[in-house]
Amino acid sequence: MSNVAVSVDHVSKSFRMYSERNDSLKSTVMRRKKSVHEDFWALKDISFEVPQGKTFGLIGRNGSGKSTLLKCLAKILWPESGSITANGKQASLLEVGSGFHPELTGRENVFLNGSILGMTRKEVTRKFDEIVSFSGVGHFIDQPVKNYSSGMYVRLGFSVAIAVTPDILVVDEVLSVGDATFQKRCRTKFAEMKGEGRTVILVSHSMNTVKEMCDEVAWLDSGELQTIGPAQEVIDAYQLTV
Amino acid sequence: MTYMTDLVSSRELLANLTAREVKGKYRRTVFGQLWSLINPLATMLIYTIVYSFIFKARLEVGDPSGLHFYPLWLMCGLLPWIFFRSVLNAGMSSIVANGSLIKKVYFPRMNLPLATVGAHGFTWMIEMAFLVVVLACFGSFIWPWIPVVAFFMVMLAAFATGLALMLAIVNVHFRDMQHLIGIALQMWMYLTPIIYPLTLVQNAADKANKPWILHLYKLNPMERFSTVFRNLMYDNRWPHWSDSLACILLAAVSLALGYFVFSRNEKKLAELL
Ligand SMILES: Nc1ncnc2c1ncn2[C@@H]1O[C@H](COP(=O)(O)OP(=O)(O)O)[C@@H](O)[C@H]1O
Ligand SMILES: [Mg+2]
Repeated sequence: MSNVAVSVDHVSKSFRMYSERNDSLKSTVMRRKKSVHEDFWALKDISFEVPQGKTFGLIGRNGSGKSTLLKCLAKILWPESGSITANGKQASLLEVGSGFHPELTGRENVFLNGSILGMTRKEVTRKFDEIVSFSGVGHFIDQPVKNYSSGMYVRLGFSVAIAVTPDILVVDEVLSVGDATFQKRCRTKFAEMKGEGRTVILVSHSMNTVKEMCDEVAWLDSGELQTIGPAQEVIDAYQLTV
Repeated sequence: MTYMTDLVSSRELLANLTAREVKGKYRRTVFGQLWSLINPLATMLIYTIVYSFIFKARLEVGDPSGLHFYPLWLMCGLLPWIFFRSVLNAGMSSIVANGSLIKKVYFPRMNLPLATVGAHGFTWMIEMAFLVVVLACFGSFIWPWIPVVAFFMVMLAAFATGLALMLAIVNVHFRDMQHLIGIALQMWMYLTPIIYPLTLVQNAADKANKPWILHLYKLNPMERFSTVFRNLMYDNRWPHWSDSLACILLAAVSLALGYFVFSRNEKKLAELL
C-alpha cells in the first residue's frame, strides 16, 4: 500500500487583491489608470503526498488556505507554481448541489449534475434508484428542485456526488451541512469507500470527525504547511494553538 | 490538443447543458416552446407594417422563384440574424452567469457558451423548418436547397460561436461589455440588409457616384450571410461563389480564433469571477 493517490509538489497559489480594480470598460476609460493590486499568497510552497486508500484530513483556521488547496486539487484553480498529480478518477464535492437548476425536476437535475461530475447517462440511469433512495427525497424526485427544502437539496446533491464512485474524493466541509441522520449516512459512506480502497481528502472543522475518520492529517496555517502526520498527533498540536 | 480531448469526452455534459437551457427557458410559461415562435412572428409583423405600409418600399422579387411577398423575404434574413444576435448575447454572458458553477466544479468551461449555441440553434432550427414549410406553400421550390441551407446554418453557427467565445472572455474582464455589445448589435442590424434590400444601398451608392460606399458596406460579414440565405431560400439559386467562400472563411477563422482565445484563458476564469 505504498501507492500514492495524490502528490502535491511545491504548490504555491496567489490571488490578486485589488485595491482599485477596473472590472468594467467604463472605469477603465474614465479612470485612465491601470488596476492596482498586490499579490496575496494563499498557499506557500506546499508539498505532501496522500497515500492511496487512506482518508486524509486538512485542518487549520479560517482563511488558512484549505479550500484553496482543495480547489487546486479539483482543477478549479491553477497554482502559480508547482504541480499536482492525481492517480485515478477524481471527483470533488466543494459545495453540495451546485449546478442544480431550480426550474428542472429532481430527476432532470440528477442527470445534469451527474454529467457535470463526469458520469455518463448510462451510468446515472443504472445508479438512479440508488441515488434517489440514498437522498431520501422520495416522490419529490419529479418536483422542480426549487420546491425542495434546503436539506433535501443538500441530500440529493451529495447522493449524486458519491454515485460517481471516484478513486479520489475531495470534500470540503460538506459534512457540517445537513441533519444528524444525514451526517451519519455520509460517515458510513466514507467508511465504505475506504474499505473499497478509495482515497478521501476532506476538510472539517469538527476535530471529532477528523479524529474518527482520518488516518493522516495536514495542518495548514496562513498558507503554509505546519505539520503533517498521524491524525491524533497533528490534531493535538493544532489544538494547543487554539 | 489535450483540451480538445477533454472537450470531446464531455459531450454528454454539453447535451445536458443544452437541454437545461432549452427546458429552463420556457418551462414556466403557458405556451412553453411556442413563445420562441411568437417572438419572431411579432417582429415580422412590426417590420412588415413599417416597411410596406409606412415606407411603401419596393418589393423584392425572387429570381428565379418568382416569390413576391415582403414578410417571407424578411424572414429569410431575419431568422439567421436573430439566431446570431441571441448566440452573441447569451454566449458572452454564459460564463459570468454560471459563475457559481465554475467556482465549484471542474469541467471544460467551453461547454457553457457552446450550450447556449446549442439551445439557440435548436430554436432556430424549428423556426427555419416553419419558414421552409411556409415558403413551400407560397410556391418557393425550396426542397432541393435544404441541405445547402443546413450547411450555411452550420457556417453561421460557427461564426457566431467563435465571436461568442472571445466575447465571453472579454466579458469576464469588463462586465459592462454585455450592454455595449447589445447596443452595437442594434446598430449592426441596421448596417446589414435584413429589413431592407442590398439594392437600396447599391442605388444610393450609384446615385451619389461613390461606389466605395458599397464596397465598405459589403465588408460586413453578416451581409454575406444574409445574402446567401436569401439566395437559397427566397430566390432558390446558388449564391455567388465569393459570398459562399466568404461565409466559409469567416466561419473557420472566427471559430479557430475563438477556440484559441477561450482555451488560453479558461484556467483563470474561476478566480476572476
Ligand atoms: N478568489 C479569491 N480571491 C482572492 N482571495 C481569495 C480567493 N479565494 C480565497 N482567497 C483568500 O485566500 C485565503 C484562503 O482562503 P480559503 O482557502 O478559503 O481558506 P479556508 O478554506 O482554509 O478557510 C483567504 O485569506 C481568502 O481571503
Ligand atoms: Mg474553506
